[in-house]
Amino acid sequence: MALDRITRLDPKLKAFITVMEESARAQARQADEELAQGLDRSPLHGIPVAVKDVFSTQGVRTTCGSKVFADFVPKGDAAVVEKLKAAGAILIGKTNMHELAYGITSTNPHFGAVRNPWDLERIPGGSSGGSGSAVAADLVFIAMGSDTGGSIRIPASFCGTVGLKPTFGRVSRYGVMPLDFSLDHMGPLTRSVRDAALTLRVLAGFDPRDDTSSRHPVADYPLGENISIRDLRIGLPENFYFDRVEPATAQAVRRIAETAVTLGARIIPIRVPDISAINTIGRIILLSEASALMERHLAHRENFGTDVLALLDQGRLLPATDYVNAQRLRRLAQQEFQVLWRQVDCLLTPTTPTAAPKIGQTTVDTGDGAEDVRIASTRLVRAINVLGLPALSMPCGFNGAGLPLGLQIIGPAFGESVILRVGAALEDATDHGAQKPGNL
Amino acid sequence: MPKNWKLIAAGLNLNIPEGDLEKLERALDGLEATFRPLVETIPHETEPAIRFQCDPEQQP
Repeated sequence: MALDRITRLDPKLKAFITVMEESARAQARQADEELAQGLDRSPLHGIPVAVKDVFSTQGVRTTCGSKVFADFVPKGDAAVVEKLKAAGAILIGKTNMHELAYGITSTNPHFGAVRNPWDLERIPGGSSGGSGSAVAADLVFIAMGSDTGGSIRIPASFCGTVGLKPTFGRVSRYGVMPLDFSLDHMGPLTRSVRDAALTLRVLAGFDPRDDTSSRHPVADYPLGENISIRDLRIGLPENFYFDRVEPATAQAVRRIAETAVTLGARIIPIRVPDISAINTIGRIILLSEASALMERHLAHRENFGTDVLALLDQGRLLPATDYVNAQRLRRLAQQEFQVLWRQVDCLLTPTTPTAAPKIGQTTVDTGDGAEDVRIASTRLVRAINVLGLPALSMPCGFNGAGLPLGLQIIGPAFGESVILRVGAALEDATDHGAQKPGNL
Repeated sequence: MPKNWKLIAAGLNLNIPEGDLEKLERALDGLEATFRPLVETIPHETEPAIRFQCDPEQQP
């Protein structure tokens, strides 16, 4: 059924770079046989999933959405792919994305512009845009993404899906084509918060092959019914997060905060550290690390899209001292944020200041003048990568044009249980995630 | 005083076409304007958040 739907809808959506029809059918047959014999590997057994085309897949090309890697065929699977296969999930294919995972539009110059199922003239967000589009259009139940500056949460927000960026070190990066060594995070885009929790149960854990992998014990992520958030302290930022945000988005998030109160949670107005400064730190780190990584390929400028090339050029112009100082400032920001977690258990914010912009749109106006669409879309999410904290994006309503809006729940390091608990409780109390795009 | 990005690019022998460089200047100037004041605030003893493990038991 997933393959039939992909055949019918993907020509419009361009959500996939590679569809693995033959191996998917073989995996499905195997899952049927195993389940018929009583062998149940996990709740993902027999479930169709996709992975962004940054995850290495043995014998299947892994392009990173780039002409540079268009013919790269890995010899092995990424750790995430290994774990999904071991859990019995059926890998349907590799999703389209922003070139090199370095951008938020997923308007890919080499593999086509990914379309948003809610409005085919709009971007799905990025860089995991194909994953967001595929989940929103019900092509797969779960699609893996990577998030360096919001690349899971932005498409989740624009496509009306759930997106989970776990704590840095929680999910192995082994076998994933890197964009930035110290900012890349791996996580799922799903139809529901519980699906995200289920996927994290499969993926979380120490991996000695990933230098940044954590030995922190894996928690029991919430899946049951009647999840309580009574007496939980939910911080609602007084500064930054509701500035220059479209009214519909701000209102939708505040309504969800009111819902949380009806569920027994305490909403605590709180001032957060200087997020704008942390965003700047993140941009310096990303520009520097990504350019260092790609420098050897830059002799062939014709292999890169204009926007990605511009970012790679910017990174080469920054001095090494700026990179080191950005990493020093990062440590200070982390210390500042640790104080905040004494006052609240999580933060509730919008994910993006607007709903999905149109393909080709370069600026958005949230009522305070035009802002570069890339800066605006990453403004509320990038800092959380710098801090390495877990964050969940989930649907929280619709704007006047019927486009989905996203809220972000941010937790302390390894606090995935808390943010998933809050997300599941709010999902149970609302129906925003249940609505589907029409006109497909 | 703003940085001269064209001179820096030439000094580093980056071979970035002049037209491409001109399009970057505004973004780089903006980043410079927000980042430079932050650097002034870093306490001298602050170490970067970069991992390096010498202990063989802590290496991957």
